[in-house]
Amino acid sequence: MVQEKVRFQPFSSEPIRLVDEQGHWVAPFEHGLPPELLQRFYRDMLAARLLDEKLVILIRTGKTSFIAPHAGHEAAQVGIAHALRKGHDWLFPYYRDMGLVLALGVPLVEIFGQTLGNAADPAKGRQMPSHPGSKALNVFTVCSAIASHIPPATGAALSMKLRRTGQVAVCTFGDGATSEGDWHAGINFAAVGRAPAVFVCENNRYAISVNISKQTASENIAIKAQAYGMPGYYVDGLDVLASYFVMQEAIERARAGQGPSLVELVVHRFGAHSSADDDSRYRSREELAAERQQDPLLRYQRFLEQQGLWDAQWANELRLEISKALEAALQEALQAGEPDPLEMFDDVYAARPWHLEEQRRLVAEELQS
Amino acid sequence: MPTMTLIQAINTALDEEMKRDERVMLLGEDVGKRGGVFLATEGLQQKYGPDRVMDTPLSEAAIIGAAVGLAAHGMRPVAEIQFADYVFPGIDQLFSQAAKLRYRSGGQFSAPMVVRMPTGGGVKGGHHHSQSPEAHFAHTAGLKVIVVSTPYDAKGLLKAAIRNDDPVVFMEPKRLYRAVKEEVPADDFLLPIGKAAVRREGRDITLVSYGGPMVETLKAAEEMVAAGLDPEVIDLRTVMPWDKETVLASVAKTGRLLMISEAPRTASIASEVTATVSEELFDQLLAPPLRVTGFDTPYPLAQDKLYMPTVTRILAAAKRLLDY
Ligand SMILES: Cc1ncc(C[n+]2csc(CCOP(=O)(O)OP(=O)(O)O)c2C)c(N)n1
Repeated sequence: MVQEKVRFQPFSSEPIRLVDEQGHWVAPFEHGLPPELLQRFYRDMLAARLLDEKLVILIRTGKTSFIAPHAGHEAAQVGIAHALRKGHDWLFPYYRDMGLVLALGVPLVEIFGQTLGNAADPAKGRQMPSHPGSKALNVFTVCSAIASHIPPATGAALSMKLRRTGQVAVCTFGDGATSEGDWHAGINFAAVGRAPAVFVCENNRYAISVNISKQTASENIAIKAQAYGMPGYYVDGLDVLASYFVMQEAIERARAGQGPSLVELVVHRFGAHSSADDDSRYRSREELAAERQQDPLLRYQRFLEQQGLWDAQWANELRLEISKALEAALQEALQAGEPDPLEMFDDVYAARPWHLEEQRRLVAEELQS
Repeated sequence: MPTMTLIQAINTALDEEMKRDERVMLLGEDVGKRGGVFLATEGLQQKYGPDRVMDTPLSEAAIIGAAVGLAAHGMRPVAEIQFADYVFPGIDQLFSQAAKLRYRSGGQFSAPMVVRMPTGGGVKGGHHHSQSPEAHFAHTAGLKVIVVSTPYDAKGLLKAAIRNDDPVVFMEPKRLYRAVKEEVPADDFLLPIGKAAVRREGRDITLVSYGGPMVETLKAAEEMVAAGLDPEVIDLRTVMPWDKETVLASVAKTGRLLMISEAPRTASIASEVTATVSEELFDQLLAPPLRVTGFDTPYPLAQDKLYMPTVTRILAAAKRLLDY
């Protein structure tokens, strides 16, 4: 479905926002969304938040070796997840997208398996935690190397165009990623090739400790799109409905053959960069406390309340139900045990060449003795 | 003499060189306020200011490429790549610009710079935080490549690298950052680039290694001594140009070479050293030189320990050599 009329202007000087801090709908159009979907957004944001809390517990109890907290990104991630056609469009996520892949339907057991790096991980425990992927759901495997997934997203989008599949490639990254050569190379090629792609910056204004002022001298990230010849949308990513509607418009525009766009969703990163980081070294507790006041879940809760779609009992039941599902999936994943060590030699190539056979035999003998 | 960890030795070397020479500057991701993700540059921005300890945009191409220009114009940049695995987006700058600048300009321009990077596995980092890419660098003419294994060497060699007139890749095994401590002289000293260290003298077999697996190599040597054997142990320290003279002299004495490295086996430093020894000492060898290495797979998270040369694997290969 192509939008009848274009709702959003690229290159706005203020971030696009549809719901204000007090939860008021402030857009010049009706949202027109069914109550179930509105509640679903809340559910998915809450699930993302509770997943984040669970991951923090896993790192504190030594059950996993790494996490990249996504609290503060929930509205952006849930907005993205619901704007694309699940299982049809492709997502090229980055390591902070655990809430996004959850909302897209990647099973919790797989998420925990990947976090534990054990036999419940469909990727066989090869990568660090927070690097999910799912062939079944068209979620490209996350790569640690920043921005390295952007040219591949362009390539996949070009394939979608060449093969006329009607799909769109959505690619997410942080603000730091926009400094890498791969970012510029990929975005430029997509624009030149009119690839059906949407590039999404989840801008939390930090790349580990480095503030955005060291990342770009542009007034924002969205404006960079101008130079490449595509629209750039500057959006309040703490507003799930703004994230959703802008993403939907960009995706449908790409699907209709009108080329790629860049969407900047401005968010907060409530946690440290990762479990290996101590953010008190570079940002003040006052700054963080002020950001925490702008919790995307709270804002959306206020909106739902005004729509008569939220009450404490419902939210508590939801919380309980999600917590149970999280715990059950974690227990299931924990049962899976270690992957077979010899799997180390699989998947380097489609078939094992002689040198890998040799090395595999060596380890097999060693493990037997 | 102060006792230091490897990371403290690096911090000290940087501090001393910045104090000594105003042209020395640091640049990289998170090197400023954060002090580097491993804290190698901790406290230096406070001391020398944000122009000499510069947080850069997240771009290895920009970091390494800018270092080339800074160096060509007269500065002495020390660039930090957050993990060796992330040098690849900057590899064109390192290989096409830094490495070849002196040669292609007929000696008119040069890039006296250091590119520091944490390397190797053993910290549950999965393949993008565990690789040992030294062979790529060694294969590129124009680069010198150092891989340290002790705090003392780290200080002496990093200071030498900063004063060296060529681009130097300086690799720091991240699993050793805080694992080893030793006395390091507080005064200004340099160690020669290209010179190996004989860690133990012996007559029966030569064990050659460098970087992270020096730990397992020395442990294996201890076990061999306990079993009544007399191994010689060499730490290459510089893998390009590597110390052929010391290695050949040792193998000429023992007749047996076991080369141990954590990097993938094929086309590696270990291949180079064993091939050279075969070429030059063929008729003095008591057994064919052997290699214990990492595997030709990406570095897998779940098999983090199994991937690296283990003491068992080193001892088994040594036995093969001795029984030959
Ligand atoms: C090529 C590369 N260089 C460096 C790193 C180390 N690193 C991991 S995350 C990160 C910061 C990324 O920041 P940003 O893109 O803003 O995303 P955010 O983590 O803020 O969501 C860095 C420097 C890396 N993973 N890849």
